[in-house]
Amino acid sequence: MIQLFRKERMWRTHELKRSYDVVIIGAGVHGLATAYYLGKDHGITNVAVLEKNYLGAGNSGRNTAIIRANYRTPEGVPFFARSLELYEDLSRELEWNLLFNQCGHLTLAHTDSSVDGLRVRAETNQIMGVDSRVIYPEEIQKLVPALDMSDRPRLPVMAALYHPPGGIIRHDAVVWGYARACDRMGIEIHPYTEATAISIDSSASRNNANRAPSIDAPEGKITGVETTGGSVATETVVNCAAGWATTVSRMAGVALPIVTQPLQACVSEPLKPFLNKVIVSANLHVYISQTDRGDCVMGAEVDPLQSYSMLGTLPTLEQMATYTLELFPQLHNVSVLRQWAGICDMTPDFSPIIGAVDGLEGYHLDVGWGTYGFKAGPVAGKYLAERIATGETPELIEPFRLSRFREEALVGEKAAAAVSH
Amino acid sequence: MSDQMDSRFHGNDGSSPSSIPANGQVPATFYFNGRPIEALPQDTVASALYRSGRRIFSRSFKYHRPRGLLCVSGRCPNCLMNVDGTPNVRACMQPVRDGMRVTHQNASPSLENDFMAIAEKFSWAMPVGFYYKTFTHPWMWRLAEPFIRRAAGLGKIDNDPNAVTDHPYEHVFLHTNTTVIGGGPHGIQAALEAAVAGEEVVLIDDQPELGGHLRYASSTDDTPETTSSTESPFRGKPHVGLADLLKSVHETPNITVLSNATCFGLYEGKLVAAMHRSAESPAAQRLTQLRTENIVIATGAHEIPLLFENNDLPGVMLSSGALRLIGLHGVKPGERAVVVGTTQAADSVCGALEATGIEIVATVSLEQVVKAVGKKHVSALQTNEQRFACDLIVMCGDWMPDAGLVGQAGGTVAWDEERAVFVASDLPEGVSAVGAVTGEDLPPAIGISQSASANPKKVFVCPCEDVSLHDLKTAIDEGFDHIETLKRYTTTTMGPCQGKMCQQAAIGICADQTGQTIQETGRTTSRPPTSPVPLGVLAGPHLHPVKRTPMHAKHDEIGCVWMDMGEWKRPLYYGTPDSKRESVEQEYWAVRQRVGLIDLSTLGKLDVVGKDAGKLLDKVYTNRFSDLRVGRARYGVICDEAGIILDDGTVSRVAEDRYFITTTTGNIEFVQEWLEWWLAGTGMCVHITNVTGGMAAVNVAGPKARDTLAKLTERDLGNKRFGYMRCRQAEVAGVPSLMLRIGFVGETGWEIHFPAEYGEHVWGAIMEAGEEFDIRPFGVETQRVLRLEKKHVIVSVDTDATSNPIESDLAWVAKLDKDDFIGKAAISRAKDRAPREKLVGFIMDENVLPPDGCVIIADGQPAGRITSVRYSPVNERIIGLAWVSAGLAVAGQSITMRVDGRPVTAQIVDEPFYDPAQARLRQ
Repeated sequence: MIQLFRKERMWRTHELKRSYDVVIIGAGVHGLATAYYLGKDHGITNVAVLEKNYLGAGNSGRNTAIIRANYRTPEGVPFFARSLELYEDLSRELEWNLLFNQCGHLTLAHTDSSVDGLRVRAETNQIMGVDSRVIYPEEIQKLVPALDMSDRPRLPVMAALYHPPGGIIRHDAVVWGYARACDRMGIEIHPYTEATAISIDSSASRNNANRAPSIDAPEGKITGVETTGGSVATETVVNCAAGWATTVSRMAGVALPIVTQPLQACVSEPLKPFLNKVIVSANLHVYISQTDRGDCVMGAEVDPLQSYSMLGTLPTLEQMATYTLELFPQLHNVSVLRQWAGICDMTPDFSPIIGAVDGLEGYHLDVGWGTYGFKAGPVAGKYLAERIATGETPELIEPFRLSRFREEALVGEKAAAAVSH
Repeated sequence: MSDQMDSRFHGNDGSSPSSIPANGQVPATFYFNGRPIEALPQDTVASALYRSGRRIFSRSFKYHRPRGLLCVSGRCPNCLMNVDGTPNVRACMQPVRDGMRVTHQNASPSLENDFMAIAEKFSWAMPVGFYYKTFTHPWMWRLAEPFIRRAAGLGKIDNDPNAVTDHPYEHVFLHTNTTVIGGGPHGIQAALEAAVAGEEVVLIDDQPELGGHLRYASSTDDTPETTSSTESPFRGKPHVGLADLLKSVHETPNITVLSNATCFGLYEGKLVAAMHRSAESPAAQRLTQLRTENIVIATGAHEIPLLFENNDLPGVMLSSGALRLIGLHGVKPGERAVVVGTTQAADSVCGALEATGIEIVATVSLEQVVKAVGKKHVSALQTNEQRFACDLIVMCGDWMPDAGLVGQAGGTVAWDEERAVFVASDLPEGVSAVGAVTGEDLPPAIGISQSASANPKKVFVCPCEDVSLHDLKTAIDEGFDHIETLKRYTTTTMGPCQGKMCQQAAIGICADQTGQTIQETGRTTSRPPTSPVPLGVLAGPHLHPVKRTPMHAKHDEIGCVWMDMGEWKRPLYYGTPDSKRESVEQEYWAVRQRVGLIDLSTLGKLDVVGKDAGKLLDKVYTNRFSDLRVGRARYGVICDEAGIILDDGTVSRVAEDRYFITTTTGNIEFVQEWLEWWLAGTGMCVHITNVTGGMAAVNVAGPKARDTLAKLTERDLGNKRFGYMRCRQAEVAGVPSLMLRIGFVGETGWEIHFPAEYGEHVWGAIMEAGEEFDIRPFGVETQRVLRLEKKHVIVSVDTDATSNPIESDLAWVAKLDKDDFIGKAAISRAKDRAPREKLVGFIMDENVLPPDGCVIIADGQPAGRITSVRYSPVNERIIGLAWVSAGLAVAGQSITMRVDGRPVTAQIVDEPFYDPAQARLRQ
C-alpha cells in the first residue's frame, strides 16, 4: 500500500554490457518470467532481456488475457495447472496487483462431437486435480443469464465445460510486474534493442558418440549475440520471440516446425457489467469476456493464412461480431472501439516447444506458443529457468522438447487449444 | 454502382444545399428521462437538450465529474446517452425522431446529483496505477474486485437475450474507381476532379449534408447574417461558395454521395469500410464494403481541448463546438463568454459569437489562464490577474488532422515540425490526401503550452478516462515513458474517443517530460474502426445458412428427428424425439435382416478428371489409385505431412482419366483445396470439380438390397458382374446413376449417386420397390451403430489431430512401397517405432453405457478415451471404439472407466463385432 504514494521507477535503463551469463530475446511475459525465475530461484542475475520494441509490445499486450488449466492431454493439464497456481499467487509475490479475476471459464459445445470432447477434457482434468466439469443448459443459464440458451441460434448451446478457477487478468500488468521485479534483482531490461545475429563456435562441439546426430541444429556452442546496441558475449541464449521465433532461431541455424499466423481480437465500448464469466465457443470460433473496466473483449480463431501482418481484417471482424451475437444477441447495438492482431508461432500439435536444443549448447527455446502462450508465462519461465540453471530438464516441460517432432511424440492439444484460448 | 441505395440512408444527398428547414415544418418531441423535450427540425438530441437548458450531459468515467458539450461533432465522449435502448450514442450526432426515448448514463440518481461523484473526493488516494499498487494480496482483491467492477462501464444493455427482436442490418458491396473520404470543400473538389476525368466516384461523408466546416464556419468576408426568424435567430448562412460546389456535385452523374456514412476502416487491397447511420434508428444499419482503385483521404481536422485546471467543466467548449451549435442548430451556447486562445484564433471566433448576441467578456491567452471556476457549470474564468464572470469558456484549441485512416491505408503520420502538427505522408500508390489532413490551411499550432494552472491533478488530458496532466507526468516518471506503455498504464487514448481528444496532448507531454522530440516520441498505432461501429452492423443480416438434401421433404413426410452436420440437416433417425431407442433398433434390424435406405447426399463429391488424375491421387492419398482398374472402387485416406489422418472416403475409377471421389460431409471444401494445393505448380493435367450440390446419393443395404434394386435397373447386380468394391454406370429408376458396391454398414449394398433434381423420385422409387421386403429408411444414428459393429472408423469422431493410420488400425491403407506421398516419411517412422496408443474395439462387461468421450483409467491416471460407444443389438452388449495406451491394446485386456462416478470394466476385442469374415458384404 505504501508504494501508492511513493514515486518510484519501475525499471531503469542501462548501457548494454560486454557480456552476460544469459541473454533472453523478447521482453514479453515469457522472456521476463524466465529472467525473473533465473534470478529468484537460482540467483542468476547477470541477465539481459532484449526487446526490439517497448516492453510487452508483442503478444503479451495483444492477447485476450484468459487464464485456465482445463487442457486435454495428460502432459498439458498439469503444466497449465501449475501455471494457474503460479498466477494465483503472483500479485502477492510481485507486490503488484495483476487484477486476476477468477470469474470462471465456460467452453460451450454446440454439437454432439464437441460435447464428447468436453467430456474427455472434464474427466482428464478431474483425474489430474483440475476443477472442471461438464454442465448442461439449466446450470449454464444460471451462471450466465445474458447468454442466449434458446433454440434460435443456428447451433444452440448443448453443454459447457465449466472451469471455476479460470478467469481473466490484466495482461500488461503481468509484464510490468515481472519487469519491475527483474529490475530490483539487477537483471537488465533493454527495450529498443534488437538481436540481429547469434554467434556460434562450431569447433566446440563435443563428439558424443552416444548422441544421435542432430537434424535440428548445427553442432556447436553459443558464444554471443549481435544487437542493434552492440555485441555481447554470452554462453546462453533464450529465444522467447513468439511470432518471430523462427526468424530468431534462424540466426542460430535451428529450424523450427513453426509457422506464423495472425490472430485477431477486438474490444467494445465500456458497458455496465453484464457478464462475469469467460465464454468460449470452439464451434463458433469466438471467445468473449468483460473486463473490470466494462469493455467486452472478443477474439477470433487464428487467421487461415501465414503472415506477419498485424493489420486487422474486415472479414474477421465481421465474423467475431456475427458469432458474438449468436451468443449475446442483445449486444447488437454495442459498438466495437478497436480491433487488432498479434502474430502467433503455431506448432503442428498446438503445444509449445520448451527447453534446450540437442547439439547446440547454450541455446534454449520457449516458443511455439501459438494462441495460448500468455497463460503459460509463469510456468514456462520457471521451469525453463530451472533447465538453464541446473542443466536438467524438469519433468513438467520434458514432453515439450523440440525433439518430440523427430520422435513423433506429439502432444495433441488442438482440441483444447484451437480457438479456446 | 448499386442502384438500390435506398433513400433511408442518404440524408439530402447533396440535392438540397441548405439545411434551413422549410417554413412550417412541425417540431418533434422526444423524451429525456421521461420528460418531453421539443426539438426543431435541424436539431440533434444534444442541441435540443442544450436549447431546453440542459448543460450536464454525462458523468465522467472514473470521478463522475459533470461533463457538458465539448466538440459537438461526435468525437468526444461527453454526450454519450442511451437512445431507444442503444447505449453510448453520441447525442450530438443523433437526429431527433418524434417519440424517441433518451436516458442519461453512468449517473445515479440524476446527472445533476450523482452520488458516485464522491469518487472524486478520494482522487487524492487514487493516483495513476492505483489498482496495480493496491489489493496485491489475492484475498483483498477478491473482496474489492466486485465493487470496482460494479462501478465500471458507461452504457447499460438489456441483459435478457430473449428480449431482442430482429434488426434490419444489411451489407452492401460496391466497386468504384475513386473513393473520396470526407465531404468538406477539399473532398468535394477532389471528387469533382476525378469525375471530370471520367472516373466513377464515391464520396463518403459522415454528416447529413456535404460541406464540412463550411456548413457552420463562415469565412471572414462572409460574416453570418442573423435572421429575424423566431425559430433560429442565430443560424448563420452557409458559405457562399458552398452552394456552387454542391450544385456541381449534384449535377455530376458519376459521383455517388454517401451521406451520414462514416468510413471507419481502410483494409488491405483497398477495401473501404463505411457505416451508414439511418436517420430513423439510433443503431447504424448498413455496412458498405467498397473496393476501389484510388482513395482520396479528405477527412479534415478536428479541434482539441486546451489544458488548464477544470478544463472539463460544463460550459467549457471548443470553439468549433460553439460554432456548430450556432451554425448548424441555431442554439446560443451562452450569454457571456471568455475566449481562450491566440489573438488570431480568438478573433475569428469572436465575430461569430458576437453576431449571435453573445457578450465577449474577455479574450485571454492560455498562458494567463489559471482555472475555470464553477461547481457544476462554469461561472468564471480565473486568470493570473483577475476573475472574469462568464457562463461560457470558448477554447480555441489546436487542430489535429484526422489521420487515423492514413496508417491503415499504408501511409505514415509524420510530425511536421514547422506547422507543429501530425500530417499524412508517405502514402502508397493509389492513395492520396488533401486538405487539412495534410496540414494545409490549419491555423498555427500552440502546441502544449502550459497554462498558469497550479493543480495538474485537475487538468484533464483524457476526458474519456479522467486522466490528468499529473497522472501522465507521474506515469512517465515511473518509467512508462514510451507512448505505447504510457497509453496502457494510464489508459489515456483507450476510451470511447480512442485518442481523438487526448492523443496529441499526451504525445506532447511525453516528449516534454522525457526530453525527446515529438517525432521520436511517435504516436500510438491507429487501428480500425476509427469511429465505433455496432456489432450488429458488422454482423449484418441475421442469416443462418442451412443446407438441405434433395430428399429433405421426404424425410419430413416420414417424420424424423433432425441433426445438424455442419450446415447440413440430416435425419438422425425416423420417429419422434422420445422414440430414439425403439426407432433405431427397428431401423437396425431392417438393415441387418431385410433392406434399409439412407440419404447420403451430404457426402462430399469430387469429379477428378485428366490424364494425370491417378498420379495426383497417388501423391495425396496414402494408398495407390493409378493402378485402380476402371470399374473399381477403393477406400482411401488422406494424411498431412506429419502422417495425421485428415479425411477418408472412396475413390472410384469411372473412366481411364476420370475418378469419382467421396469425402466426409464436413471436409469437402478442405479436401478440394488440399488437392488443388498439391496440384498447383506441378504441371499435371487434372481438373477438380466439386459436384456435391449437384448430386444426390443414397445407400441401399441389407440382404434384400439386390432384390430391391433389381426391380429398378437393367444392370446385372449379381456377384459375378457386380462384385464387392466395383463401380458401374447404370440407370436406376430411369435416372442415369453411378452405382458403387461398398459396405460401410456391413451388408450387401450399393451407394447410388445421381443428379440432385431426381432426389425425391429415386428415393420414392426405391421405397416402393422395397415395400415387399419391408424396407425402412434409416438415419445417422442407426448407421453409426451398424458401422461400429464393423469397427469402421469415422474420421474426426474416432480420430483427432494426432491420429495416424498406423495407430488408428488402418495400417493397410498406407502403401509405403509406392513413390513419395504426403505423410509417407512420418507414417514410415510411426510404423518403425513402438506405438504410444492405439484405436481398439472393446466390449463392456456389464450393460452400462458410458458417454462418448469417457476417459479410460489405469493406475489412477488417464490412459485413453472412448470415441464411440453404442448398444449392439446383434451382440446384445455395449460395444465401442477407444484410444488406449499401447500397453493396454491387447485382445482380452481389461480396461476400466468411470461411469457416474463408479468404475466399470470392458474387454479389448480384436475382431469386428459383426461378420468378421466379411461374408455378408460379399454375398
